[in-house]
Amino acid sequence: MNKALRNPLVYILFVLPAFILFIAFFIYPILTAVNNSLTSWNGISKTMSYIGMDNYATAVQDKIFWKSARNNVYFILFSCLVQVPAIVFFSLLIANVRKLKNLYKTAVFLPSIMSTAVIGILWGFIYNPDFGLMNEFLGLFGIQPIYWLSDRNWAMIAILITNAWQWTGFYIVMVLAAILSIPRELDEAAAIDGASGIQRAFKITLPLIMPIISVVVMLSIAGAMKAADIVLVMTKGGPAGSTDVMATYMIRYAITSFKHGFGNAIAVLIFVFTMVITVLYQFLIVRRTERIEY
Amino acid sequence: MKKSLVLLISLIFVAASLLAACGTGGNASKPGNDGQQTAGNGEGNGKTNNEPFEITIRHTQVGESKKFRLGLLEDVVKKTEAAVPGLKIKLDGVDGEVNRKERLRGEMAAGKPPEVFDVMGSPDAELYAKEGLMLDLTPILDELGLTDKFTTLVPFTHGGKIYGIPIGGSIEGYFYNKEYFEQKGYQIPKTLTELEALAEKIKAEGKFPFAQASKDAWIPLMTTNNLWSYYAGPEITYGFKTGESKWTDENIVKAVAKHQEWVQKGYFKKGELGFEYADMRNQVITGEAIMMMDGSWANSVFRDPEQAGNMVGKIGFFNMPPVHAGDPVVVMQDANNGYGFSSAVAKDSRKLQAVKEFIRHMWTEEMQLRGLKEDGVLPAMKMDLNQMKTVSDDPLMQDIFKATSEIGTSFPAFDALVQAEVNTSLSTGIQQVISGEIDPAKMLANLQAVQDAANQAAQ
Repeated sequence: MNKALRNPLVYILFVLPAFILFIAFFIYPILTAVNNSLTSWNGISKTMSYIGMDNYATAVQDKIFWKSARNNVYFILFSCLVQVPAIVFFSLLIANVRKLKNLYKTAVFLPSIMSTAVIGILWGFIYNPDFGLMNEFLGLFGIQPIYWLSDRNWAMIAILITNAWQWTGFYIVMVLAAILSIPRELDEAAAIDGASGIQRAFKITLPLIMPIISVVVMLSIAGAMKAADIVLVMTKGGPAGSTDVMATYMIRYAITSFKHGFGNAIAVLIFVFTMVITVLYQFLIVRRTERIEY
Repeated sequence: MKKSLVLLISLIFVAASLLAACGTGGNASKPGNDGQQTAGNGEGNGKTNNEPFEITIRHTQVGESKKFRLGLLEDVVKKTEAAVPGLKIKLDGVDGEVNRKERLRGEMAAGKPPEVFDVMGSPDAELYAKEGLMLDLTPILDELGLTDKFTTLVPFTHGGKIYGIPIGGSIEGYFYNKEYFEQKGYQIPKTLTELEALAEKIKAEGKFPFAQASKDAWIPLMTTNNLWSYYAGPEITYGFKTGESKWTDENIVKAVAKHQEWVQKGYFKKGELGFEYADMRNQVITGEAIMMMDGSWANSVFRDPEQAGNMVGKIGFFNMPPVHAGDPVVVMQDANNGYGFSSAVAKDSRKLQAVKEFIRHMWTEEMQLRGLKEDGVLPAMKMDLNQMKTVSDDPLMQDIFKATSEIGTSFPAFDALVQAEVNTSLSTGIQQVISGEIDPAKMLANLQAVQDAANQAAQ
């Protein structure tokens, strides 16, 4: 047994299946996308001509592309500044309830197992300007009907709310698991020392769950950069492209226009942007977070 | 030692199984779904091959509004299966936009479209045909004596060869609430000025003159396309691709400005940029809006009690009137949607036979008239107007026949005449114009830049 494990060949054999899958489904598609991005391929033709960096130049010179990228930034900001605090808040609440904890956990998790198409349609009703729940509620305060999905000033925020609603429960369950894994003695000791509930939450619980919050932020950033389905279902990138994100820009201006070379260039740009942001986040935030030891 | 040997052997076995599984996956798919591989089976020895085989028909007859068309297709499928021994036809229904912009393109890119598929003639079929992915139907249509039977095959004809067959024709015009018109004593407008005056009156009465849903840009573009064909002439659209005409033409600017003016005057319900196609029809059905620009295909909705409720029989149809009284009526009349066939079919004699039988049963006078009667789809095949009139005594259909007979000049929809990227840009542009984000001249200048780039790329 020991002899076998000392043989590097055994390790290579163990790694090989995963490595083959990784190359087939990750490295190869990326390399293909990079290659295609340098061509004027129409997505159908068997031949493709190389045009250098023209597709990238077209993208970075297009104002609409940057408008779409800005919407991805809104997704990230909304996730980090609104969604994550809400996740932590609700996780703390649920962790401290004494009755029906499982019911709450299931209830908040439910939206994340629903398909985006269903959620899009559901929230389409909620946002309906004539009979939607949102306007009915706002009407109670005398607020005039808002054209949530038709007005470019509101459409993006409407999508962000829906997207947050869909994924908040998923992250709550993750954070909740982290909270519940904190040894009870720590909390009890702080309580005996006279710490209030809020003090314990901020001084004990939050620092101890920072690693999982970092993961939540990372996942939110990655999710924000690849967002597309919720936009397509709710607004199709409209009104007038105001809710287009980079992925829907790619579909609208490249794929549906038989410009797959250009589409691949956009895909590569999304990949690069996502990588840069996550690497920056790793270096600037996560590495500074102290290692947690109970 | 023994344990390590077992461990090593197990590992090799697992890795080998995994690789073997990957290998067989590719090979296993060949006989099942690659028509070329089975080409000519059993034909050489002169015996009829009754072995079961399957072809897939990708159609877009999904949803309540297309149930009659689906019924018709299913009947053709049954007849085709009965005519070809061993044939099993698999129907694969997909939403029209999803099929056009995602599914079919993906399959074409992979070089494996379904044997029969719903396709737009131009620009889609042209591109697919150029790449050799579509079956040349010229000899089949000749053999079946169908070549000269169609009103037009132009959208499907590329390089002198026919690559698709239109399933039906359509015209664009206004559906209107006949009952409301009668109650108020309104007449069908004879000029655009009269149409605007009518809209003003309807608006004053607290109704929306026009139903419009602009979440999908092709819907408002029906109005814009008809407007610019009046202001600038229908022939102008043919010149964009060749560079002979420009989107910045002052008459096109006028037409788009007219559309924007209607929006600003409140002729359409506020929030139209968030409304789906079905919402537009519902506005007419509920009586919220009085007129609606749509394709003649929409008649099936207004003739179906399940969809239109008590509005059945109360909806009429008229063409968009000309700018000046007495000018010829110019209307979008198209036959750009139909069926295409995979070029791979040519390599399999049984599938080719199935395709021939499908065409033989689908494009008959009987089926065209049935489509007209049940679903209100204007025939793609040449047919006498009086014969059409006898098929359906429905008042709405009679209105559509009348409108068809009044057409002075017809033109194909703009998206059949310009490149896909120009269509994309115009789609965003018209939504920007509707939202008031941009003025028509600026939008059209942006569009012309896209057109120039597309023309240059084509060269």
